[in-house]
Amino acid sequence: MKTETRQELIWHVFLVVAIFLTLWPIVFMISTSLKDLNQVFESTLNPLPWPVTFDNYTTVLGNFPLFTYIWNTFFIAAMVTISKTVTSVMAAFAFVYYDFKYKESIFNGMLLTFFIPITVLIMPNYLMMAKLGLLNTPWGVMLPCLVDGMGVFLMRQTMRSVPKALLEAAVLDGAKPRQVLTKVIMPLIKPALLANSILFFINSWNEYFWPLLILQDKDTYTLPLALQMFISAEGGSEWGIAMAVATLTSLPPLILYGFCQKFIINTFMNSGVKG
Amino acid sequence: MSRNVKEALVYLIPSIILFLVFFYWPLIQNIYLSFFSWNMVSPTMKYVGFKNFADILSSPELIKIMINTVLFIGFMLILIFVLPYFYSYILGHLIKKWNNFYRSALFLPATLSLAVASILFLWIYNPLAGPINIILSAFDITSPRWFKENYLVIFAICTIIGWKFFGYNLIIMLAAMVAVPKEMIEAAKLENASNWVIFKKIILPMTSSTAIYVFTITVVFSLQHVLVPVNMLTQGGPDQGSSNLVYIVYQYGFTFFQTGKAAAYAVITMFVYMAFLYVKNKYLEKKVYYEN
Repeated sequence: MKTETRQELIWHVFLVVAIFLTLWPIVFMISTSLKDLNQVFESTLNPLPWPVTFDNYTTVLGNFPLFTYIWNTFFIAAMVTISKTVTSVMAAFAFVYYDFKYKESIFNGMLLTFFIPITVLIMPNYLMMAKLGLLNTPWGVMLPCLVDGMGVFLMRQTMRSVPKALLEAAVLDGAKPRQVLTKVIMPLIKPALLANSILFFINSWNEYFWPLLILQDKDTYTLPLALQMFISAEGGSEWGIAMAVATLTSLPPLILYGFCQKFIINTFMNSGVKG
Repeated sequence: MSRNVKEALVYLIPSIILFLVFFYWPLIQNIYLSFFSWNMVSPTMKYVGFKNFADILSSPELIKIMINTVLFIGFMLILIFVLPYFYSYILGHLIKKWNNFYRSALFLPATLSLAVASILFLWIYNPLAGPINIILSAFDITSPRWFKENYLVIFAICTIIGWKFFGYNLIIMLAAMVAVPKEMIEAAKLENASNWVIFKKIILPMTSSTAIYVFTITVVFSLQHVLVPVNMLTQGGPDQGSSNLVYIVYQYGFTFFQTGKAAAYAVITMFVYMAFLYVKNKYLEKKVYYEN
């Protein structure tokens, strides 16, 4: 028994090292954002800024339209989340509740889009948005992101966990398909549904590459795009300010994760399971 | 199960239309674009047949791009496939305490933006004043210019992606780990099997389907994740030293404005991906154990 606990201790050491490497950059980011210029360079490694200063944040607020960036990011993320959730739930319901020809082919066709490399899509989609006059608008960013192959897959996995007998009982009671979905299935899968939506939101909030192509006008920037400005323009010396913007960008995902980490982790643990 | 096809279609139509318009139609259009010489703005496109492909296949650039691509994928496989595999074994079967804390903490970076990760590691790797330089100089080592040296730049960028996706892949793998019956492992332990033997004889075969899934998403998505730090920190430099099969499409399309050549590169990317998925389905999946 003794050797077993000692062995376990070694594994804990492995994990603690991993945890340190994982969390230290985040701690470092937040603490740098609370340091003044001197502390940034003098006590770089010290994780506890003293005295704590919010100068970096006020500088950013004073010199950049930060609230515009926050709103732009939020607006796109919210619309994308709503649309992806609705389309995924509807499609998944069709796959679970109905039986029709080519069902598996259609499902695989949707799931397969998850594996299409983004660069194959960017030029045609960019040209389409240009033709529609949607460059430099949030709509141009959103439009190609309204469905999610992985979302359909995950929702289908979740809905399959609802016992068939329950659905049949509802139908016998005279429930219409729409009611089966909204009154029987959705209440039962609420945690997974919520976790999925949160993931859609976080992913869209964090997105950098596609918005980069569509949004060239600085007023339309999202937060991840705005971060770029602190690399080129500031020449690399204003690290406190850059870290302040990075911290602000990370805050919503961190808060959402903090509240719903259990659901989110469960959803991910399901995603690798073969359907 | 209802067989009312019309009703089913009502639920499916929004998704089907969106998938066709924004995923499948661009796929076709991209192939079409690859046969033209065009700069994206001029009103006329010149048909050039297979010239774009011939140009790419005969250029020395392609070799460099392919080497970089293989290096990127190789590093990523170590950082976010092999390592999380072992860690998920530790987390799932070798420890008894604090499992929830570990996995919540390790997953944390997965929720942050790659743009945040990129700028954060630009500062961490800063060769003049960054923390890594400070630590290295304590050992009298001069910090290299991480993002300016060939090959080193690929490693440095991979650590950024690795930092973000380690926990993500770990969690997926952990799901498969905890599905392995504890009794089987207990029984093996009673017969004095070492952890390594248990891993090889029980865990490996029983988690192989998920492992292959994670292997696949690592290969397929690594290059796409790499786009963000490459574009923010190096723009493919030094001297195309961090460009790859996916980034080159963006370079030709949106910085050199050679739409046709970019599209041709995208078509090549697609074929490489398809070949990979085909080989994977044909050879890897055969060796996999599926429970049902």
